[in-house]
Amino acid sequence: MATITATPGLATRRDGEAAIRLASLLRWTLDHKLIGLQYMASSLFFFVVGGAMAMLIRWELLTPTLDLMADGTQYNALMTMHGSIMIFLWILPMMAGFGNYLVPLMLGAKDMAFPWLNAFAFWLIPPAGVLLVAGWLLGPAEAGWTAYPPLSTLFSLDGQTMWAMALHLLGLSSILGAINFIVTIRNMRPAGMTYWKMPLFVWAVLATAIIQVLATPFLTGGLTLLILDRVAGTSFFDPGSGGDVLLWQNVFWFYSHPAVYIMILPGFGMVSEVLSVHARKPVFGYRAIALSSLSIALVGFTVWAHHLFTSLQPALRIPFMITSMIIAVPTGIKIFSWLGTIWGGKLRFNSAMLFALGFISLFVFGGIGGVMLASVPVDIHLHDTYFVVGHFHFTLFGGSVFLIFAGIYHWFPKMTGRRLDERLGKLHFWMTYIGFFFTFMPQHIAGALGMPRRIAIYDPAFTNINQVISLAAFLLGIASLVLIYNLLRSLQTGERVGGNPWRALTLEWATTSPPPPWNFRGDPVPFDDPYGYGSDEGRAYLDAVDRRFPAPTPEAVEAESGSARS
Amino acid sequence: MNLSNSSGNLMTVLWILVAFVLLVVGGLIIAEATPLVLPPQASAEAAQVDELFKIMLALGGAIWLLVQGAILYSVIRFRARPGDRSDGPPMHGNPTLEFVWTLIPALVVVVLSIISFQVWVNITSAREYEQQVEARGARFLWSFSYEIPGATQRVNSPVLHTWVGQPVALGLQTTDVNHAFWVPSMRIKQDLLAGRRTEARFTPVLAGEFPVVCAELCGSGHGDMRASIVVHEDEERFLAWFDEEAFRILNPPDDPAEGGELLMTSGGVAGLYACAGCHTLETLGWDSITGPSLTGVAERAGARIPGMEAERYLLRSLYFPSEFLVPGYAALMPQHQYQDPDEANYMPLNEGLAIVAYLCTLTTDGESACDLDLLPAMMEDM
Repeated sequence: MATITATPGLATRRDGEAAIRLASLLRWTLDHKLIGLQYMASSLFFFVVGGAMAMLIRWELLTPTLDLMADGTQYNALMTMHGSIMIFLWILPMMAGFGNYLVPLMLGAKDMAFPWLNAFAFWLIPPAGVLLVAGWLLGPAEAGWTAYPPLSTLFSLDGQTMWAMALHLLGLSSILGAINFIVTIRNMRPAGMTYWKMPLFVWAVLATAIIQVLATPFLTGGLTLLILDRVAGTSFFDPGSGGDVLLWQNVFWFYSHPAVYIMILPGFGMVSEVLSVHARKPVFGYRAIALSSLSIALVGFTVWAHHLFTSLQPALRIPFMITSMIIAVPTGIKIFSWLGTIWGGKLRFNSAMLFALGFISLFVFGGIGGVMLASVPVDIHLHDTYFVVGHFHFTLFGGSVFLIFAGIYHWFPKMTGRRLDERLGKLHFWMTYIGFFFTFMPQHIAGALGMPRRIAIYDPAFTNINQVISLAAFLLGIASLVLIYNLLRSLQTGERVGGNPWRALTLEWATTSPPPPWNFRGDPVPFDDPYGYGSDEGRAYLDAVDRRFPAPTPEAVEAESGSARS
Repeated sequence: MNLSNSSGNLMTVLWILVAFVLLVVGGLIIAEATPLVLPPQASAEAAQVDELFKIMLALGGAIWLLVQGAILYSVIRFRARPGDRSDGPPMHGNPTLEFVWTLIPALVVVVLSIISFQVWVNITSAREYEQQVEARGARFLWSFSYEIPGATQRVNSPVLHTWVGQPVALGLQTTDVNHAFWVPSMRIKQDLLAGRRTEARFTPVLAGEFPVVCAELCGSGHGDMRASIVVHEDEERFLAWFDEEAFRILNPPDDPAEGGELLMTSGGVAGLYACAGCHTLETLGWDSITGPSLTGVAERAGARIPGMEAERYLLRSLYFPSEFLVPGYAALMPQHQYQDPDEANYMPLNEGLAIVAYLCTLTTDGESACDLDLLPAMMEDM
């Protein structure tokens, strides 16, 4: 049984148990687990790059005048890169990474429906990253990640074209990945797993993938018109020759609003898993959470113009206010359901749980700010100010990134066979929570008081608040380094675990950590209720899994480290 | 919580009532922060917008407290005791509770939508006897222009003048990229869209000077693109300013250099030129840094390009600015043209000449460094 077969990318030890070598992530592989890790590794790299840019931005904003940046263009290029990298090269692909790694395992499948397409979709990302950064050197994109014409067409240099080309590649990657998820989830569920018995993470990925295939083509269209205006002399966005600048704004946001749900929904799925497992309680309101993901996906297509309330024709503003208010309801249902999940449970405060709880705490603040922005008269004052910057960082960082962190702490043991260091995890959490709150909460105040966004030179009256924000941001930056250190160190020396260190009921835990290349021996039978904690059957199932996939004994670990590399 | 007996039920209801009261009070306290986070209410619109903001802050504050409270309570009360490896109760849901927490947020957003709609209708309705002002955004300067009754010329100013209680109707146009006209104290904001004329309205209620800020990324000088609104105490004081400006425009000085100075501060036939948006010029009180400083430019103009006279250098810099980029600055200056009055950046040659005449006086002693008689021939030669 213990054949040492050289499966690409894995060092097989015995009984199919495998170790992860970082170098293996540089190779072309069809294994969804390795592709998932490739997505994650590249995303974490860009997280550090984008984060470094944020540190430069906050350093510049310590004073109301230009100091670090030579001129406004340099600053605008930096903040354009920061936003573009964080959205398209950190959050979106990181969520794809989790989806790729977990969905086949949660479905008891051997791989995704289209393994080659899966690999292809990942390998679009490194060239896109190169294009984006190369553009910065050519004469940078400086119109923000939103790239409004005419600034982005008639008043920007070639880096703007490269930016658009990079986003084309990333959009294609997103669409191809989404097709894969939809087909996999539809066709490859195990016997007995109806849609209503799928883990909520799978529901979330399904809803996300539906948005991806429907919305991303609009980004493609908009980017194509932008590139043509820039290089082919067309005038889609040039009013002087029959074009319209509002065309870009509407097409761009028709994609980019659903895009924010692409960035958060998989995370919503992850937090349902994390809270349930570490509170030892079923998810409260499973069907409501599943259906609310689908309704967010649907209603999310009707709200886009709230991003352009101050440029939209006045008669259309109220209808988009109404749709934007409506979408608060399914999100509220989720938050209350998650509170219901932990209420009355037996809470274990490991790092994954801390980030999950921190997420609920912070995301609701972002959601409330969102409802305020949905109101047209209030948005007229707050649009394009630091209030908006604070809002979207609460939802994207306090939301998506906290969820990513929770997912990392929760599934790192499954992916690597080792735990992350818990003390470093708690340090990471507290530094992040405090640094985050004092970075982004005051931004709401600065914006409401009159500070617009996307400026390096500001009214000196805002100096104090900006200094507080910058100092807190530096703390946040250091906190993220704690995570990177923890990841790299734990890969080498983290405590070894068995198949199911958290005693969780979903199928990814019913195999070794990490799983063998073929995921499972035979066709695994999922436990009837993915959240059946507190039941005798659940306990019996978990005991059986523990017997089958135990943690390695200290002697076994000794023996391995003698013969294994890294 | 044990719900299986009636005194348990009573306790639960009491706790819910206590929590409800605390949340309402907490929300109201949070809402009191409204004046601390918003600028003074300088317009009639501001008071209504702030009231709406306060209502949302109260509701949002209460919801935030509810969620934080639930988390804190859970973290303390439901912590797994050390060594307790058991599971929690197998509770999958509660249809009544789920219905309630769907219905209440739905009602809240319906109410907020209705109030928002009412405020919106109030603040956007046209008023009687509005003061019509045309506003222009150009990288990186705001300018405002007023009709002079009975004349074709207009008063142009980098400052928007009006008076207390006078409803203002603004027409907004851009000469280049999109901008956004934002007056935080008045709570109004409207984008300027290339190819369109957009509108905004407000009624000032406080006298004073209030900042205007550009709120749509427009390039390098976006952060520097600021102006002000001066609200005079009454129409008389406004007219005192207006009449003086109108007189200057309708009776331009004979001396070309003085005429040039007037053009640079009060614009010409095409409106206010955007020079102040990028340049520092001490004599006129300009302090922008996107472009090179013009202070004392006549001292340098003759030596800047070997073989080129100061007059020709200054004239060509207006119409072909990218020919003479100063190191360290980007090619951002709009290219003025004198052929088509309807196109952007129109600067008729006679005005260009007057501006050059003024620039020629920017020497240490104020004496002109140029021979203005050379200019007409140079203009033929463009």
